[in-house]
Amino acid sequence: MNTAEMHQANSKAVEQITTFYIDGDLFGIDVLKIEEVTGKHKVFEVPRAPGFVRGLVNLRGQIATALGLRELFMKSTNLEKEKMSVVCKLDGNLVALVVDSIGDVVEIERSFFEPPPDTIPGEIRRFIKGIYKMNGSFMSVIDLDSIGKEFAPSVDPASGRIN
Amino acid sequence: MTYSAEEMEEFKAESLELLENAEKNLLSMDNGGDFRTAFDSLFRCFHNLKGAAGMMELLKLQSHTHKLEEILMGFKDGTEIPKPHINLFLRGIDASRALIDGVDVDFDFNVSAAAANVPASDPIKSTNPPIKVQVEEQRPPKSELPKEAIEEFLSECDEIIERISNNLQIVESGNYKKTSVDEIYRDIHSLKGSAYLFSYKKMGDLAHYMESSLEKVRNGTHSPSKALINAMFRSLELVEKYVALTRSGAMNPTLDLLIPGIEKMLTWASEDLPLFTQVAEIEKKEAPEVVEEVKIQVIQPETHIDETVSQPLLKEVQNTGNVKEKESEGASSIRVHVALLDNLMTLMGEMVLVRNQVLQFSNKSEDLEFISMSKRLNVVTSEIHGEMMKTRMQPIGNILGKFNRVVRDLSQELRKNINLTLSGSETELDKSLLETIKDPLTHIVRNSCDHGIETPDLRRKNGKTEAGNISIKAYHEGGQVIIEIQDDGKGLHRDVILKKAIEKGLVAQADAGQMTEKQVFNLIFEPGFSTAAQITNVSGRGVGMDVVRTNIERIGGTVELSSVPGVGTTTKFKIPLTLAIIPALIVNSGTGTYAIPQVRLDELVRVEQSSVANKIEILHGAPVFRLRGNILPLVDLNKILNPESTSDYRDGTLNIAVLNAEQISFGLIIDRIQDTVDIVVKPLNRLIKSLQIYSGATVLGDGSVALILDVPGIAKVARLGSSGTRNHENAQTNADKPKTSADMQDYLLVRLQSPTKHAFVLGFVHRLEEFKRSAVEYSGSVPVVRYRDVILPLVSVNEQLGYKSVIDESKTMSVIVVKKAEAMFGLIVDEIVDTLATAADLDAKVSTQNGIFGSLNTPTELIVVVDPFDIIEKCYPESVKNSNPAPVRSAASSVAPVAPPKHPHLRNILLAEDTAFFRKAVKTLLEKAGYKVMCANDGKEAIDLLNDPKYTFDLIVSDIEMPRVNGFQLAEAVRKHPTHSALPMLAVSSRADTKSMEDGIKAGFDLYLEKLKPAILLNAVSELFEKGRRAA
Repeated sequence: MNTAEMHQANSKAVEQITTFYIDGDLFGIDVLKIEEVTGKHKVFEVPRAPGFVRGLVNLRGQIATALGLRELFMKSTNLEKEKMSVVCKLDGNLVALVVDSIGDVVEIERSFFEPPPDTIPGEIRRFIKGIYKMNGSFMSVIDLDSIGKEFAPSVDPASGRIN
Repeated sequence: MTYSAEEMEEFKAESLELLENAEKNLLSMDNGGDFRTAFDSLFRCFHNLKGAAGMMELLKLQSHTHKLEEILMGFKDGTEIPKPHINLFLRGIDASRALIDGVDVDFDFNVSAAAANVPASDPIKSTNPPIKVQVEEQRPPKSELPKEAIEEFLSECDEIIERISNNLQIVESGNYKKTSVDEIYRDIHSLKGSAYLFSYKKMGDLAHYMESSLEKVRNGTHSPSKALINAMFRSLELVEKYVALTRSGAMNPTLDLLIPGIEKMLTWASEDLPLFTQVAEIEKKEAPEVVEEVKIQVIQPETHIDETVSQPLLKEVQNTGNVKEKESEGASSIRVHVALLDNLMTLMGEMVLVRNQVLQFSNKSEDLEFISMSKRLNVVTSEIHGEMMKTRMQPIGNILGKFNRVVRDLSQELRKNINLTLSGSETELDKSLLETIKDPLTHIVRNSCDHGIETPDLRRKNGKTEAGNISIKAYHEGGQVIIEIQDDGKGLHRDVILKKAIEKGLVAQADAGQMTEKQVFNLIFEPGFSTAAQITNVSGRGVGMDVVRTNIERIGGTVELSSVPGVGTTTKFKIPLTLAIIPALIVNSGTGTYAIPQVRLDELVRVEQSSVANKIEILHGAPVFRLRGNILPLVDLNKILNPESTSDYRDGTLNIAVLNAEQISFGLIIDRIQDTVDIVVKPLNRLIKSLQIYSGATVLGDGSVALILDVPGIAKVARLGSSGTRNHENAQTNADKPKTSADMQDYLLVRLQSPTKHAFVLGFVHRLEEFKRSAVEYSGSVPVVRYRDVILPLVSVNEQLGYKSVIDESKTMSVIVVKKAEAMFGLIVDEIVDTLATAADLDAKVSTQNGIFGSLNTPTELIVVVDPFDIIEKCYPESVKNSNPAPVRSAASSVAPVAPPKHPHLRNILLAEDTAFFRKAVKTLLEKAGYKVMCANDGKEAIDLLNDPKYTFDLIVSDIEMPRVNGFQLAEAVRKHPTHSALPMLAVSSRADTKSMEDGIKAGFDLYLEKLKPAILLNAVSELFEKGRRAA
């Protein structure tokens, strides 16, 4: 079964979402935005980088930046639970989102989608595109673009040298 | 049609092959290949095509090829086909292709206009009208062409345009061979062909007009006139604009409006061609000028490009477009998308990593077969790696060639006569780098043309050849590519640049005099700087040079400028071979691994903190290091990476990497240094880049990731260079004198009216200034200048040293400002030459009557060291009295000498002095008088020596201003010392104001002397020994 085909056929009403858990909560990203899902890689620290930048990882010769979703979503800092990474592309750069575990790829009707409620703290809400109401739980869909914005502050072009 | 699509495809493919073959044969005939074979082959091609066309019921194609065959038969018994006919056949082949593709073509079988000049043996007499190929636009233009094909076509156009432009230049120079004209003709022809094929009708028309106008020249009966060449260039420009426009996917009807004008210009120019070889100047006649006024406006987006790929069409594009390439390069090169190469590179990197792992594994293995296999894998991988690297390299000639055209256009526009010579075009550089250096190069070349090269009149007046020369040289040097742009123009004038810089507020007036030539030239790279008196079209807006430096530095290169006024300017770009792979030094800080690009690394210094002289010191809380006598600011990598970390550099061995960041050099303290390796640079995302500490990342051989340090960024983070540290240059002057820093002393070399060089101890020099002679005023009989807020009395060093004094009213005076006590004095010298760091011994003279300390015996020459204080004292004796009412000094300075002690060799003197010059001078002096002298580099060392039970001392002679522990602190420490509190102490300092002297006495000195009067010093020493003896 070709997932892309299936997706195309149902693109109007249904969305396919890769789900994963962080600290017990269910999160999701559109399956088409995901390059791959891998185990946890050895992270090489980047001193002076903001806390949510865990460091750099070597993805078979490509360098990806590891981002701690725990920090972005203000979860407990129980790093031992982190076992997997979800690799996507942000602004042409690879990023590895560090998560606890991977859930299923779910197909879900758009009618179950709702914007995040206002009571969620703004610092968290800005990274959430919306909420899917699932059976017995909620799934927060991550807004990759806004993470991208966090990730790419406007840089003084003069300092953007390669050295 | 009764034939299936597949059969049709097959026919098309076959016919195109036939046509290609025919074309090849025609061209080989044209180039003097064997006529008979080519003829037979050509004939067979036409014949077969005719047959196939008939079979497919393509009547038009059938009759067309039949006609071609017929014309060809006319040459059956000949020995050659004249050029016009070859053209005719070539055009016929193109038309056939169009027909095969379903385009209706009206083909005129008359040979071209110039065919009238074909020798009489020509079997076909032809009339004059030029061949007209009219392609009717049957299909909606471009809409069904695959995007790749169009891209292919456009880059083909770029190449063709460049080739034509180069060849036109050769033709214009007058010294050309027929082949150049032929080549132009062929290129225009294939341009026309492809343009029509892609239904860029206007572009095709344009090419067609160009082709026709060149006809006569190509036949060898007429010479190209200047007007024609200019018209050709104009047309080429227009073609270029079309190409650019097509590329951006826009359409511009205004361009089309220009075509009739261009056509008129071309026809007019081609009508008036001079016969034979004389090139007449017909320029004065009014040529229709149209093109220049037009500004391209992108009006509307082009039609959409459908992605459906039509195979035969694509194939055809390659066939028609590559006529020339097939000839010269054949199948030796193919076009590959850069993205594919990038992918291959990445995979290559991965393969290298796997190889490393396999090798590691095989080291543990006992299996011989496996070991040999892994060895083989190792070799092959390395080879592939090497070859892979080469794929990205392109000869620099690809961009240098364009400058022929740039210089040609500019010299016309500026009415100058400029020759351009290129060398080293074959030097290879990474393609992405080539793109980046194109703009900077253009800027420099344009600048050279506009500001550098003078007008022919001026050049003649200055005794130069009327034609200016610009040369661009590219070559490899030390793992970098050097590009030198040299012109023999008027050069850069220091004064003009400085004046402008002061005007623009880039430099303070007071600093201007002491800037080195290099610093002055660097000013023109400042944003907003332009010395051009007039802003011309070409340059002078002051944006260019700034961009040049930024661009070159962005790719890790450097720009150097040197110039001799009146002789010319040379600009040197140093560029790394490739961005993708750079040599780097791998270092460790804490647990992390980092890479420092080798281009930024000047040297590595290993420091033993336990040593006395060569170690890291703390200056106002900041670590510094004395590198060959100069203070090198230090930045601790640990502190950069983790601002909270602290280190006192008390012990152990430390590594310092001396780095250069643009104009600043600084030392980076590093925990561990590993190795130099070639690393593959991977980009970082913007967030990490915005930290300014890292410029990229790389995967090391063991699979770990290392960050690449951004050296200029670190300098910025550490706030270096905000005040323009000049260490870099000093370090360079000293580089060739590897001696320990403790022995080095800096001197300022000056020229006086004497063949011998004179020098001042640099530490004495307060500032260097330049004054106009007219600024000198007189206060009584004393010459003074107003300097900042004070009156600066002037002294002519020449006069004082007994040399004859020459006053050149027109020149400015070089003045060394010296601070004596609290007053400033200006010492006039003829010229300030340079600084010199040397460890040479100073031969101190006891008598200082003539204002000389002594002489410096360097390996190459003898340098006289001037005593500025003595000179000042001689001129302004009141300066001593007024500022030095020192009570303690009177005894020592009494004229009656005190007898030296009886057994001087039993007297041990401890000398604390941080300046090497004085340490040496005083030591020599005292030793000559028979004392034993032990030296300390500062107060701290002096205390250490005092505490060492191995030594005993009878007297301390100390400087006041010293690092770590100064003279006052030393005196206080001695007075509190359990065993040495009674030692006599003598202060010798250039800080000889009343306050300091009082402080000195308070701190515990017995005597306080101004440096450095040998007689007084010896006298004071004797006196103190006398006193000490009496006290005992």
